[in-house]
Amino acid sequence: MKYFMIAIVCVLCFLLPFFVGAYLIHVLTSIMIFLSLALSWDMMLRTGQLSFGIAGFFGLGAYASIIAVDDFSIDPLWSILVAAGFAALIALALGWIVLRLREIYFAITTLALSSVFMIFARNLSDLTGGSAGEVLYESIFKGDSIKIYWLVLSVALTVILVSELFQRTRIRFAINAIRDDEIAAKCSGVNIFKYLLFVFVLTSAIQGAVGALYAQQYAFVEPESTFSANFLLLPMSMALVGGIYSTLGPIIGAVVLGLASEYLKLIMPYGHLIIYGLILVLTIMFLPRGIYGTVVNRIAAKR
Amino acid sequence: MKKNFVGYVVLAIALFLIALLRPYAFFYGVQRGSLYSLVALPLALILGIVGLLNLAHGEFLTLSLYMTYLLFTKWRMDPLVSPAVTVPLLLAFGFVVYKLVIERSLKTHHLNLLLLTFGVSIVMVESLNIWWTSRPRNIYVPYASTSVNIFGVYVGGYEFLYTVAVVLVLTGLLLFLKKTRLGQATYAVGQNPKGAAIVGINVKFVYAFVFSLAAGLVALAGALLSVRSSIFPHVGGPFTMKSFSLTAMAGLGNLPGIVLAGIVLGIAEEFVKSIPGYTGWADLVFFVVLIAAIVFRAFGRREG
Repeated sequence: MKYFMIAIVCVLCFLLPFFVGAYLIHVLTSIMIFLSLALSWDMMLRTGQLSFGIAGFFGLGAYASIIAVDDFSIDPLWSILVAAGFAALIALALGWIVLRLREIYFAITTLALSSVFMIFARNLSDLTGGSAGEVLYESIFKGDSIKIYWLVLSVALTVILVSELFQRTRIRFAINAIRDDEIAAKCSGVNIFKYLLFVFVLTSAIQGAVGALYAQQYAFVEPESTFSANFLLLPMSMALVGGIYSTLGPIIGAVVLGLASEYLKLIMPYGHLIIYGLILVLTIMFLPRGIYGTVVNRIAAKR
Repeated sequence: MKKNFVGYVVLAIALFLIALLRPYAFFYGVQRGSLYSLVALPLALILGIVGLLNLAHGEFLTLSLYMTYLLFTKWRMDPLVSPAVTVPLLLAFGFVVYKLVIERSLKTHHLNLLLLTFGVSIVMVESLNIWWTSRPRNIYVPYASTSVNIFGVYVGGYEFLYTVAVVLVLTGLLLFLKKTRLGQATYAVGQNPKGAAIVGINVKFVYAFVFSLAAGLVALAGALLSVRSSIFPHVGGPFTMKSFSLTAMAGLGNLPGIVLAGIVLGIAEEFVKSIPGYTGWADLVFFVVLIAAIVFRAFGRREG
């Protein structure tokens, strides 16, 4: 019954463009892009590692995909896979070093790596177009917003599926064990580094693919806006508000904050990010488990 | 000890060579490096004693820059006099931020604290953005653009104030931590908060004090910087990372090391900038050093 409902919801999501207007489709597309980022950030956080690097891998994917289309004339659709592969490769190479760090050192190193990626994008001007960035001749599917919506929706559903698989299979026990007590996990025979590397590479690939989607949708990359802190900030706030360490939490957060931010943009075009900062601070202070986590706790307490 | 000594000799020779070959890079580097370490000292203080990495550190600097700007345009107050006003204001601001946001979360997981200060930094940047827009502002005072002649090299004279200030602040901090009663208490809290609490030190007060002191010191740096930099909401952001780089390079609790690291990195940065065609890569210096220092320490600890 439950699976039947989920299937119906998925089908409805795919059919949605036939019922609602172009503006809502555009909003939903951007919500799903941030939703995928939020879930990928949360998947890394489930292992106890706070990554500030998602904007970096997002930008890396965006650049990889645009360069693949522009310089190697790869089909835009395939370029998304290229971007995911490229981000995964970089994550694999860096993971050997970065994943030996813990806590604030891991967080800061990933933040620094994002800046390093941006400096490379800005300075390798032959390849990346320097600080002016690079513009494609046309966006993916010739800018057909409904097709783009379907593509983004499929990617988002895949990410949700992967996240659910993480929560339901054996890997979940390993991840939770690492988060709760690393030494105990190690003593129980969990290969910590292997799991961390796997999760890091996988989430980086997701971030790269999402970056490619975003870049192909608008058909341009530019260092400042592609590596913008927004692509770190918004997903983080979404996951935190919705509730971390779950699949449903980031989804709820993405929908709530995504719709709220569209509204805020209309009434407050300048500096609406302040609301995100406030939400981040207030959530951590007063609702550390997020909406979903709090609701689950309440229900559990009643029983 | 011997290994360190060799390292220092090599460093001194390298710096001397740079001073000889690229005197401009050397002097600019000393100036920039002094500024970086002036901003980094307060961050290291909070990190060492409260054990909290304040990601809003650069935004405190931005705030003090705007305050100096406001005092200058409204009341024609000289930026070098304005610390008399901005330092107490920032002290109070630091105290309020600590009491409102940080204190109640100190007990929770410290990744929460990191996210919390990150949120504070966004709120500060965007508030400044809303109130003053992102238009860059400048303070013009004639004495800021004087130049001095050192061995036939003309460099800006005003920036040497950073060096003077960093030496004064460093000496002041070290004396304070070693000689005064409150300083010794602070030191004790930094080493072992529980032990300090047992011997009767008010740990919460020390934390609040360190946090506000750091904010006050940032205001001092802000006043000095204000006449030589454009003022816009994002101006302080890069300083957070740079300060953390210096702290990571020097190691926790090593305040003089921060000044040395700052000057070395400042010179390295200016040196890269002085190579034609590589100006854009200068920003990379800090990040590479940061990552290298963190990774090196992490691996070193494992072996040790």
